[in-house]
Amino acid sequence: MNFRTIEENIFKILMFISLIAVMGSLIGIMAVVLIKGGAALSIGMVTTPPESGYYLGGEGGILNAIVGSVYLASGATVLAFFISIAIAIYLQREFTSSKAAGIIRTSLDMLWGIPSIVYGVFCFIVMMYLGIGTCLLAGIIALTMIEIPIMTRGMDEAIKMVPPELKESTYVLGSNRIETAIKVVLRQGLPGITSAVLLAFGRGIGDAASILFTAGFSDHIPASLFDSAAALPTMIFFLSALPSPEVRDRAYAAAFILLSIVLLISLASRLLTNKFSRYIIK
Amino acid sequence: MLSEQLREDIFSWEGIMTIGVITAFMIIIIGNSGCIDSESTDKESKTIKVSGAYALYPMMVVWADEYQKIHPNVKIEVSGGGAGKGMADALGGVVDMGMVSRDIYPEEIDKGAFYVSVAKDAVVVTINSENPVLDELNKRGVTREELVKIFITREIKTWGELVGKPEIKDEIKVYTRADACGAAQTWAEYLGDYTQEDLTYGADTGIMYDPDLAGAVARDKYAIGYNNINFAYDIKKESFVEGIRVVPIDLNENGKLDEDERVYGTRREILQAIENGIYPSPPARDLHLATRGGFKGETKEFVRWILTDGQEYIPENGYIQLPSEKIKAESNVLESGERT
Amino acid sequence: MKILRAFISMDSRRKKVVITTKLMLAASALVCALLFVIILILFSGSLPLLKQESIINILFSSFWNPGKGGFGLYPIIIGTVYVTGIAMLFSVPVSILSSIYIAEYAEGRVRNIIKSFVDVLAGVPSVVYGMCAIIVLVPLVRDYMAPFLGATSTGFCILTAGMILAIMVFPIIISICVDVFRAVPNELREVSYAIGATKWETIKHVVFRAAFPGVSSAVLLGFGRAFGETMAVCMVVGNIPRLSSSVFEPGTTLAAFIATNFGEMMSVPFYYSAMMLMALILILVVLIFNIIAKIIIRKSYGGGGR
Repeated sequence: MNFRTIEENIFKILMFISLIAVMGSLIGIMAVVLIKGGAALSIGMVTTPPESGYYLGGEGGILNAIVGSVYLASGATVLAFFISIAIAIYLQREFTSSKAAGIIRTSLDMLWGIPSIVYGVFCFIVMMYLGIGTCLLAGIIALTMIEIPIMTRGMDEAIKMVPPELKESTYVLGSNRIETAIKVVLRQGLPGITSAVLLAFGRGIGDAASILFTAGFSDHIPASLFDSAAALPTMIFFLSALPSPEVRDRAYAAAFILLSIVLLISLASRLLTNKFSRYIIK
Repeated sequence: MLSEQLREDIFSWEGIMTIGVITAFMIIIIGNSGCIDSESTDKESKTIKVSGAYALYPMMVVWADEYQKIHPNVKIEVSGGGAGKGMADALGGVVDMGMVSRDIYPEEIDKGAFYVSVAKDAVVVTINSENPVLDELNKRGVTREELVKIFITREIKTWGELVGKPEIKDEIKVYTRADACGAAQTWAEYLGDYTQEDLTYGADTGIMYDPDLAGAVARDKYAIGYNNINFAYDIKKESFVEGIRVVPIDLNENGKLDEDERVYGTRREILQAIENGIYPSPPARDLHLATRGGFKGETKEFVRWILTDGQEYIPENGYIQLPSEKIKAESNVLESGERT
Repeated sequence: MKILRAFISMDSRRKKVVITTKLMLAASALVCALLFVIILILFSGSLPLLKQESIINILFSSFWNPGKGGFGLYPIIIGTVYVTGIAMLFSVPVSILSSIYIAEYAEGRVRNIIKSFVDVLAGVPSVVYGMCAIIVLVPLVRDYMAPFLGATSTGFCILTAGMILAIMVFPIIISICVDVFRAVPNELREVSYAIGATKWETIKHVVFRAAFPGVSSAVLLGFGRAFGETMAVCMVVGNIPRLSSSVFEPGTTLAAFIATNFGEMMSVPFYYSAMMLMALILILVVLIFNIIAKIIIRKSYGGGGR
């Protein structure tokens, strides 16, 4: 009798310690980023691009990275959205046999696990073959490849949850598969779809390995799809270990912005999910 | 098509904010693409992409600035990545020119590498400003043999061993470059018939990129590393970068630093020493710009400018001008597209 | 021709269906093909090296000096195993224990808060983890942990990389495990209580056993993520391709090595192939782990999806 309770208590303590480790890590990370980044953040940092002599303590802020990241992640999310929604709708029973759907889902799961650096290397090879230099477009394509599995998985889950009776009743009324898909299924799955999109966006804006070789780096704000583009994660990668504290501050400010975006996405996902639940027929 | 409720939701405050943010982005994107740009010039704007060695990076940034002042329709994008990346990008056609701070290999020439030399600088040894034996090192310097024993063979393990004070037991932490770069190759060549991999094998940590290596040494009291001059000496303050000191090399190996070996105090001093040949080459070396095939178009214009008007910016930015005969020869190479 | 005639004679609604369906099929086919295309291109890129040296030599030789013809990947592979191993060693027990607490012991609000924490952890970009590791972990290892155990270290070592990787893997394992635990039917728990087991015994003998396949697949997926993680690792692992004898020494992983040395490949023959081979190994190992995870799920829970 005593032995059982002792064992239970030991494990309760261990569980508590583990939980502290997990929550503590997050709190630690947030503390480091918020403190260091908060100290470095200023209006100037966020609104001016860097001037010459960047690495060596020149003036300027990180606007090039902020704009670059926004372009890269938005472009990739928009592209990925269209492809993902197409695939997610297609995976329903109305369109494919379970065998085909199984193959598609398995491929997506495999793609989900591929490390982002492999996507970066792959895109770089294609770029070299086509003779394109490092540019925004290449970065967007690499990020799209990363976002598609994430987004499709989320959308697929959302669409799977749509009750078949709902769809049957629309078919009975004479709707065809596409009309049902767009007007009913998407409405019903809206909360899940929105979270999937936001999640993919969050991943896209934070990923560095894929854009390291493809989008390059630049001190200018990208003005066309074929310019190199700096991004917040690459900026952190290059600058956080430099000797000059003013330059490191830029990395910290970039990290602050990235973390805030992640937190905002988490929040927005929750809020929008709740809001859009109004459209769901329960 | 939009139901009452959906319309209501879109126009709620969250919806309006989201729409507002998206519209703002669209405006920024379109505006920046030059469509609504009121200042668009008639001439098409050209972009020159440069990447590669950190050794040339500060100089290239200055050159790009000055060139863009004269040619406002040209945009020059400069990024780092190390000499290896510069060469790979140049050969891969991913940039217009790569900055290379080491000799070009025959295999690279076989792949179509074409280069011109544009300036000269050097690699120096760096340690932390709070190093326990800093004063002794400043008095006696380090010989090449000792450097080999520190960096490559690791026979000298502690700072005390180096200066002959066995009571100091702090271990030497050797830092090197993790990315393929000219600085490491040049430094390895100075130490002997070694390569960057030999340096990597003997080191305690590999750090990516030159300025980051300086940063790591600046934060580890017992560290030793190497840097390009312009990342060891601060450009603005004419003294060392925060937390770093440069280790003098005992060139005549007599066990102490003579007057003429004392050239490490400021960047100006050491540049002078390199120019006079006191500081050996290697670790001083020529800096090149490489491309695949030959320089063309706007890039060729830019390189031509670098070899002529651009040369005047070299001394004040921490580099050494190549002798004028050499520059003339390089200009000929540029124009003819061939290197005999 | 027949198909075209049939198509033209359809009414507009039906045309829309046909066009859209074909487009969706194209998108799905594209994505499936992508996987094969990537593997194919990586494989063809590695062929020159594979023809030159035997695969055994490449995988098991420790001589890495491309300038002198040495392409032994062994130190890099072992480094990857070490770093991933340490990460899993820290992460698996902590994650599983936390998941048990979240799923079984925590009540409504507390559970929601903890879940939010885990979700945020999952979203933090890897460079931010790397940056925090440089600021906090590197001095920690260099100035406290290593001297405490009688070793010297620069702080950029396998241990540091393993630690930050462990933190990155927490959210993956925790989120899957929590779902798996909650999916265990309550009847099982009821039965266990009915025969007099305590809550902990129920968890240990019933819930955990029922959830074991799911937990294993969570661990495998976490392993796959750790194996392929690039940025945070390459910022703190030391980047020296050498067989390390202690966790306080630097090492490198496949992913970190590709990121750091991608630039040099043009100069030395076969370096490019070696890089492709490393990327290929990365992708194949991760795929194998993912496939095993899927098989475990399918066998135990009888087919997913529909």
